[in-house]
Amino acid sequence: MKNRLLLIFLLLFVTGCSEQEKKIPIEEVDMIGIMAFDYVDEKTKKLTVAIPQYSPDAKKDTKIFSTETDLVSQGIVKIEASSDRKVVLNQLRVILVSEEFARKGQVRTVIEHIYRNAEVGNKALIAVVKDRAEGILYAEYPDKPNINFYLNDLLLPSLNTAFNPNTNIHDFIYGTTNTTKDASAPYLELLGDRIEIANIALFKDDVMVDTIPPNEAIFIQALQGRKNLAPLVIDIPDDTKVLLNLVKSKSKIESNKDRNYPKLTIHLEIKATLSEYSIEDTEKLNSWKEISDLEKSINQQLEKDIKAFVEKLNKKQVDPIGLSEYFRKYTHGKWTREMTDEILDKLEVDIHVKTIIVSTGTLK
Amino acid sequence: MRSTQKKVLTKVHVLFLVQSCLIGTGILQLPQKLSSMGYSQAFMPILFSIIATITLWPMILLNSKFPTNNLFQINEILLGKIIGKFFNFLLVLLFTIICIDSISSYMLLIQSTALPEQTITLPVICFLALLVYLVRGGIFAIARFSILTFFITIPMVLFTKWAIQKGEFSHFFPLFNFTFQEFYEATKNGYLSFLGYELILFYYPFIIQQKSAFKYATIGIWISGVLMLITTGVSVMYFSEWQLSNIEFAVLNIFKAGEYSFIERIDIIGMTLWIFLVYSTVALYLWAANEGFKSLILAKSQIHLYILVIAIFIALIIPLSQHLKEKIFTINNYVFYLLLLWPIFLSIIYFFRKKQVQQ
Repeated sequence: MKNRLLLIFLLLFVTGCSEQEKKIPIEEVDMIGIMAFDYVDEKTKKLTVAIPQYSPDAKKDTKIFSTETDLVSQGIVKIEASSDRKVVLNQLRVILVSEEFARKGQVRTVIEHIYRNAEVGNKALIAVVKDRAEGILYAEYPDKPNINFYLNDLLLPSLNTAFNPNTNIHDFIYGTTNTTKDASAPYLELLGDRIEIANIALFKDDVMVDTIPPNEAIFIQALQGRKNLAPLVIDIPDDTKVLLNLVKSKSKIESNKDRNYPKLTIHLEIKATLSEYSIEDTEKLNSWKEISDLEKSINQQLEKDIKAFVEKLNKKQVDPIGLSEYFRKYTHGKWTREMTDEILDKLEVDIHVKTIIVSTGTLK
Repeated sequence: MRSTQKKVLTKVHVLFLVQSCLIGTGILQLPQKLSSMGYSQAFMPILFSIIATITLWPMILLNSKFPTNNLFQINEILLGKIIGKFFNFLLVLLFTIICIDSISSYMLLIQSTALPEQTITLPVICFLALLVYLVRGGIFAIARFSILTFFITIPMVLFTKWAIQKGEFSHFFPLFNFTFQEFYEATKNGYLSFLGYELILFYYPFIIQQKSAFKYATIGIWISGVLMLITTGVSVMYFSEWQLSNIEFAVLNIFKAGEYSFIERIDIIGMTLWIFLVYSTVALYLWAANEGFKSLILAKSQIHLYILVIAIFIALIIPLSQHLKEKIFTINNYVFYLLLLWPIFLSIIYFFRKKQVQQ
């Protein structure tokens, strides 16, 4: 008993010996919510951060700091010097990079630094911005509460119905380091007092190479086997336009396992409700036979669209879908990026779409 | 005190002692250690479990010849007092270093993630104080703690669910896509995470039903094997090859994929719960070191444990470079492979000296 008491006392005294470890209370910490990177030159980048302000006395709800730096952490230190509080990254939600920055291939080093930092979760979202990334932080959004929440909500996968190509830190690192897949990220555009996800930015290795429109990006998600997709608009020649609300999609990709004459057979099955259509002769859709005719023409159109899309990607030698994975998985030995390019060069695709319209709404 | 009573461990205790000691901090780094094999590493834990089962057999065989002696005593009986004591001293040193290794790698983790702006002196003292308490309870307390550990930490398997959803199943193929060199490299580095079952050499005399010890120890090995299989499998699905070889604590990154609306950072929960696993491993090794220390000098005193713990504390606190530490730990780990062969060597000696020993 005596021994134990002695031990407890000793422990108490030893804690007194430890150096003063003052934890900074949370009110005295500035938590960065958004980081934006702009290109200056080969070495330097401009770092702009947005920090939400919770003090009721503050006139503005967001503090914004800008600095030019060559290392990310050094930039943070510089910002800390001009901020009245300690600056931390724990609440980082969004990382914006300008198009120029992405096209010069500097994103990877920045993201890798943040990936290494244990303070940041892996779910911070990445987006590419047209023009300057800092512009988005400095712009005014009168009807939005706070840029931190606004951007985060915009980029988060909200409902399954809305198309959203969100990419977080893990996805980006996974995409850029994977030899059989390329990264992609939303491409934002500032339109006056609002931000729009205008396009999808495609990366090859760690350099941004191109953008594609959102309706094509749905194909990426469909072919990757995502079950819930955004509504799909299909333009069928002879003046028919159809909007399908996708209930469920299923994709199956088979490869011929031949790296010299690569060929993929893609089966895509789409279950959808027909939510709107514009057909000259509206009487056309009165019976199930007519609906099945429509299904057939949708199939043909989709097959054409997807084929054109995949060929476009192959020509640019980017693989955001991960098609070359279907050849890697049958190849022994090390797989390199050059092999992926080779595959994409020669790749032929054969697409079979099967659309099932499960309902046409309550009106006949 | 319980620890002075002989024969306190039931079959279930054996199972969980083996199981818990296998999973220490090793499993956190297992995907990285095996990364020379790339995606093909997924099924390595099965191979390791088979090797473990095979090497367990000579250990039990040796123990069954000396049902009331642990390896320290067996060493002295078979090799003679002086040589035996020398090897016992090496074993104590080995176990102490492995305690330091486990604690320091866990503290490194804590330092780099949870307490980046603090020295680890205080956490280490708290950790060691509780460790002394646990080890003083003897093998029986450690066994019960192991059972507790298992049931507290097993829900963490559920945290891998998001990574499985996101991962790509095709990474598993092609099967067996590695060269012999890569395989050798991975086995050499990875099997270290699988050590811990060899401590049965030391607590065997405490087991009540010694005949079924092999069976239950094997079950323990395979439970851990399956858990490690899940870890490597999920890692292979979720990561790219670059990530597999560059991410130090892959398991924590898998937890980071978690998405609850009310918890942002599941990895922090995982990391804090991990302390149970570290305790169950370190306690058992320290207990074994303590037993060995006792067999060297002053068998009846209680002071050994404190000396060991103070030594561990000093080793953790002195500012050695990480590089030097790593070197020592690596050498120490390779010596451990010899320990696996030790029972076979002793069995051969037993075979030749049977008559002498039995007198």
